[in-house]
Amino acid sequence: MLTKELSAKVLDAALSNGADFAEIFSENNYNSNIRLYNNMIQQCMAGKDHGAGIRVFYGSTAIYAYTNDFSETALMEAASAVAKAQSGQKIVTIHELNSKDISNIHEVKILPASVSKEAKIDFLKRTNEAARNYSSEVSQVDLTLAERRQEILIANSEGLWVEDTRNYIRAFAIVIAGTGSERQTSTQGPGAFAGYEFIESLDPQRMGAETAHSSVLMLNAKYAPQGQYPVIIDNGFGGVIFHEACGHGLEATSLSRNASIFLGKLGQQVASDKVTAIDDGTLVNKWGSTNIDDEGAVTRRNVLIENGILKSYLIDKVGGLKMDMQPTGNGRRQSYKFPPTSRMTNTYIDAGNDKFDNMVASIDFGLYAKKMGGGSVLPGTGDFNFAVAEGYVIRNGKIAEPVRGATLIGNGAQILNKISMVSDNLELAEGMCGSQSGSVPTTVGQPALKVDEIIVGGRG
Amino acid sequence: MYNKEFELLFKLAKDRVEDIEIFLNIGKSFSVRIHRQNVDSFNYADNKGIGIRLIKDGKVGYSYTEEFSENAFSNIIDEAIAGSIYVENTDPVIIAKHPDIDTKLDLYSPGLNNINVDEKIQVAKDLERLALEKDSRVFNVPAASYSDGYKYVRVANSQGLDKEYEANHCVAMVMVLANEGQEKKSGHWYYFGRDFEEIDVAKIADKAVSKAIELLNSSSPTSGEYPVVLSNEMVTSLLATFSGIFSAKNVQEGKSMFRGKIGSQLADSCITLYDDGLFPNGLATSPFDNEGYPSQKTVLIDKGILKNLLHNTVTAGKDNTKSTGNGSRSIKGSLNVSNSNMIIEPGNHSPQDLYKSAGKVIKIVSLQGLHSGANPISGDFSLSAEGLLYENGKRTKSLSNFTLSGNFYQLLMNTKLVGNDFLMSYTACGAPSLLIDKLVISSK
Repeated sequence: MLTKELSAKVLDAALSNGADFAEIFSENNYNSNIRLYNNMIQQCMAGKDHGAGIRVFYGSTAIYAYTNDFSETALMEAASAVAKAQSGQKIVTIHELNSKDISNIHEVKILPASVSKEAKIDFLKRTNEAARNYSSEVSQVDLTLAERRQEILIANSEGLWVEDTRNYIRAFAIVIAGTGSERQTSTQGPGAFAGYEFIESLDPQRMGAETAHSSVLMLNAKYAPQGQYPVIIDNGFGGVIFHEACGHGLEATSLSRNASIFLGKLGQQVASDKVTAIDDGTLVNKWGSTNIDDEGAVTRRNVLIENGILKSYLIDKVGGLKMDMQPTGNGRRQSYKFPPTSRMTNTYIDAGNDKFDNMVASIDFGLYAKKMGGGSVLPGTGDFNFAVAEGYVIRNGKIAEPVRGATLIGNGAQILNKISMVSDNLELAEGMCGSQSGSVPTTVGQPALKVDEIIVGGRG
Repeated sequence: MYNKEFELLFKLAKDRVEDIEIFLNIGKSFSVRIHRQNVDSFNYADNKGIGIRLIKDGKVGYSYTEEFSENAFSNIIDEAIAGSIYVENTDPVIIAKHPDIDTKLDLYSPGLNNINVDEKIQVAKDLERLALEKDSRVFNVPAASYSDGYKYVRVANSQGLDKEYEANHCVAMVMVLANEGQEKKSGHWYYFGRDFEEIDVAKIADKAVSKAIELLNSSSPTSGEYPVVLSNEMVTSLLATFSGIFSAKNVQEGKSMFRGKIGSQLADSCITLYDDGLFPNGLATSPFDNEGYPSQKTVLIDKGILKNLLHNTVTAGKDNTKSTGNGSRSIKGSLNVSNSNMIIEPGNHSPQDLYKSAGKVIKIVSLQGLHSGANPISGDFSLSAEGLLYENGKRTKSLSNFTLSGNFYQLLMNTKLVGNDFLMSYTACGAPSLLIDKLVISSK
């Protein structure tokens, strides 16, 4: 990648018009993916991409330029573009870039590139077979095994010089059940910030059969009843609601634009006292973890909400300048094509003491949302919507028939206060989170939660 | 551009593969975002990449690189050949010298290059200022931005095809938040096009503000089935979400219900829908697709009857028909089918005709969760919505906190009236407002 000498020269050029701060983020990526579809390997593809982004601050205004040409000419041109965008009084020059050693806490046992394509294809074929053998109603299976190796280098005008290598691996399954006029889709996408040992820890038989089970079940389910009633949101991917409806509102990106319902609420009760929420970028080998964030700060564990009291926001460098607060190790970006902003890492609601069975028993009529689909939220208003991928009616304290097509809608601030029971079965699940700085790997999670009332949109 | 690189790649691949296709994409962009009259973010982008598709022993291989050196080029040919060995799909891949279109498209406006940065920043500042001045209930403008972009595309293959085009565009966008009491509503509007002079900041700000304001003081509707008017903007959103049902690739793979349905009545006879890669000023307009196949207009639904599907050369080969110029791929991706500009033809009815078509009509003006609450295969959707209630043709209430549920296939059948208020949106879909006989509204 870049030498220290060239980096210093580029940083100096970026600072030449009086900027307060300058930074270079450069990366090399190796991506590889294999796709099995329609019982056949369709594609087996690999390639490289690379590039560098240069950022300067004038006050709290960030200017960014990127290029995927590593030549000195192209880098100096980008540096000159950001320098000229504004002007300042500050005189900063680069004296020395000091290599910072970081401790790697996420061991990679088996480099994915060292594993044969045959072994990877075998994993996909066994998963495909398990899904197809589960039921004759399975009509299509779409599987991908994807790996990404990202080498990053961050240098800035504070003298920082830090390098790291990140290994991501993920298996993704989509199973479609049904033919004719009814189709239902179910997905599963386990991933890790680890090596191929993660794929070896998965059971292809189970992954195929579980995904197939869900789509076949939904194919034969009736539409969910509409109305407002209690809902149990199950553990794991159920945490997507907290991620979308609350997590995004805790990011400096929305707070600094006065587009968050949590602005000015630090130290205040924002949730039921049963709720403790954490963002932890240090969880070993978890999908949303990294050793350092994309601004070079060491990632850490941040308690966001403790027993209902708002304790912390998620802050990147620019957000910190705008809000006069310290960064929290949450400056992230998809790639050099995006300036970093405050983003979540592994974000979850912590385990409580309630028992799942007691939660179900406490409901006369309600919905058990066993698997959640995706959703979205308007950060300015906190209004959210989520699809339930696999749901069941709860009747007289018992889980009854499966139902499909339910959507949960509500408001983030209100729902946090309606959580009345928190179970002890915390589980995490992997996803990709899209926001201003692109799509980044994040983990969501929670134990099963009982929400006293929520509007369920359905067709039943 | 990049003649030397193309020659080198062809030379490196010669005698190693049966055929090769080279796809080059150059992109440059600029964006500025304002908050409280200060520059909040300011970005320049400059990138390039080459993707290759080759045929080796009858099998297809792909790879890509962002580094343009002999070493990198020789690596991607190795990678693509190595990957092709494992491919089991034997659908014939056609790399050929496709013809050119005979019309001239106006995709590049040199004038856009002459706008200086200060003028661009001023557009975003004006958008924020005008939005805040327009109505005292607007308390924040979380996004006011200007951006522009340039792209250059070149496709060449070993059968002698070699085509290129360049295009540029600019976008001005504002999003506002308005409140009254505890209730907050958001609204946004935008301009996209190729003419900086055409950006009417006052009009964009007014539209965004009125979209937020008209939703304040809302109540929840009573659950039930209603005749629903989907605003032209919402029709384009739904069309963009479900456009994949017209892809022959999805039909062949069992991901669309249109298998074997050509010639059948699948929409109300008031619906005519087409895909047009040559649509004047369309966001997705281009002279050729990513296989170098010429773009065209393809009628998909003619007065309710399904006439055609969208094809690339591979799906067309399987269906024994011709490509419709909808072959798409990214540098890093493999060949797919994508719509270009997808258009529902406008009708004769004014929006007012639609509102007064029944005693109570709900007009939907906002839909959230299209990426999660809609199933692009089954057509089912259940989406968080906001809207306006019309009683006997008069607007009486704003509505929020409810979901709109239905099925896109049924929606096409249940369309009763087509508006004359055609809108071309930033999703590259264009449509008028539609009156749907009945859709399910769920609330408390």
